[in-house]
Amino acid sequence: MSNKWDTLQSQSFLECNARQRAVGLVDAGTFTEFIGPKDRMSSPHLPLMGEAIEFDDGIVTGVGLIGKRPVFVASQEGRFIGGAVGEVHGAKLVNIVRIARESYDKMLAANPKLPEGKRPAVVISFDTGGVRLHEANAGLLAHAELMDQFQDCKGKVPVISVIGSRVGCFGGMGFVAAATDVIIMSPLGRLGLTGPEVIEQEMGKDEFDASDRGMVYRTTGGKHKYIMGDCNVLVADSIEAFRKALGEVLAKPYADLAAMRRIGSLEKVQYQLKLVDLCVKIAPKDSKDVWKYAGNKNPDALVDMPLDLFLKTAERLKIA
Amino acid sequence: MDNLIGQGRAAIGMIVDPDSFKEGVVGDLNITDPEFGPGAVIGTAMLKGETCTVIANDAMTVNPKFPVVYAGIIGMEEGYKMALAVYNSIKADKDRPLGKKRPILLIVDTPGNGPGKQEEIFGMNKATGAYQLALAEARKEGHPIVAMVVGRAISGAFLCHGLQADHILSLSAEFSTQIHVMPITSISRITKLDIEWLQELAKSNPVFAAGPNFFFKLGGVEEIIDSIEAMRDRIVAHVAQVRVLKLAGKNDELGPWGRGTLGVERGGRKTRAKVIEVMNEEFAAVADRYLK
Repeated sequence: MSNKWDTLQSQSFLECNARQRAVGLVDAGTFTEFIGPKDRMSSPHLPLMGEAIEFDDGIVTGVGLIGKRPVFVASQEGRFIGGAVGEVHGAKLVNIVRIARESYDKMLAANPKLPEGKRPAVVISFDTGGVRLHEANAGLLAHAELMDQFQDCKGKVPVISVIGSRVGCFGGMGFVAAATDVIIMSPLGRLGLTGPEVIEQEMGKDEFDASDRGMVYRTTGGKHKYIMGDCNVLVADSIEAFRKALGEVLAKPYADLAAMRRIGSLEKVQYQLKLVDLCVKIAPKDSKDVWKYAGNKNPDALVDMPLDLFLKTAERLKIA
Repeated sequence: MDNLIGQGRAAIGMIVDPDSFKEGVVGDLNITDPEFGPGAVIGTAMLKGETCTVIANDAMTVNPKFPVVYAGIIGMEEGYKMALAVYNSIKADKDRPLGKKRPILLIVDTPGNGPGKQEEIFGMNKATGAYQLALAEARKEGHPIVAMVVGRAISGAFLCHGLQADHILSLSAEFSTQIHVMPITSISRITKLDIEWLQELAKSNPVFAAGPNFFFKLGGVEEIIDSIEAMRDRIVAHVAQVRVLKLAGKNDELGPWGRGTLGVERGGRKTRAKVIEVMNEEFAAVADRYLK
């Protein structure tokens, strides 16, 4: 598959690699990569364990434009050790967010009236199972740094998650994504903390049968997360669909994006606690139990429903 | 007592001023329901005469509503309960000056986050994320946050409860403290690398091995403490140190970013700094094209 912007647009987001996603999500010809393969900044730890390296350590970081906005992009490569976060990978991801916020501070100091449409934003394309075991401690520490950087972005730089790649977004990266302002997913995207295999291993097949693909998608997939309110925008599986959604989101005032968060304030936590109470009340055996509670009379029909119809039909969970 | 594993409640009493801990109360918050997130203990105590918020794990209880929550696991209710304690600390001290924000003490003994189907359906990732964001906000609002690892500090649960602190202290390995993502036996099984060889490799490279000493070398914990009796005084000393740095505006020397710098000083995590330096240079070379 070519990396040319025009040909990328119609491609399946799921099938695209990290670099294609990074290039295709911003305006044509605007992406500049930092710490690209030419820098050969690979993991110093993997060779000690006899493991293959990649010259980008499984993540593409750089900057592009969407309209007049500088958009700082991080895009993970699930084909390299499951997109897992090691020392280099983590440092690239953390620092691209930090550069965005530092740029904001500089720009706003120079011009306090800078229009929102010219202010920096961050986009992270997740494709990861979390910490890379070969360098687990460094990977873990990078997760904490990322949460710290997100908090610094609050009130300044919108941070947008896009999730629609093969590995999904799991482990520690599951709560990293939850802590961003806006989450855009395709129905093929998956988001969670503990992956199905780990739940099955820890709690048994009765709790979760990881070989039941339908169950896996119903529990962590884009449609379910959209009904729950954990995914803000659900789009088709193409680079263009994700890019357009991103453009629409970034055209909104910052206050609207902050309101789309799930967590990050006392009020948001109090709302989430109502959802926990609801979980106790309906004790779902399957996500469909929650879909039904949300007002979807025939939850089975939603599973394979085409996206356009799903977006028109599906009732999203709302509680007073 | 050989160690404090499972003794989160007892550890509170060993650290704060005698009989000062009021469970369930933080500012306006007053939790009276014993079945609400019982795996997390929250409350207010005095530490050398100063009001302080305490957040600990209770490994000796189960959450009757969520069967995956036992042995100190942080479930959805626990994560949000911990976040409530933090937000109410911020709220209670909203009008106090920077040097007077109450410290938040995290007593860490947790083996994981709730791994269940209901947890995934409703989003366990949000609960642990919510608590971390609350701690990061409190840290930036000026609250000195000190984490004390007294038992298990495992993977995502340590991220949730510990790694957002300004400073992290750990009892030494003689107290069976565990800090890791995965024990080396599991890493060996999953990566298919020989366990004895991995153990040998760990001596020269702390980046994957389990234990407080490896985290110390990586800058992941500020100090290792070798007696239970010393915990209280060292925590008080760290609260004071953290406060001095906050008053001087040196927030980058604290918390996760500060521990990155510490990782370079201690020689365990040097590549991270190089990546950041090169990326900053590469961005500076094109910044004018993007920032207008």
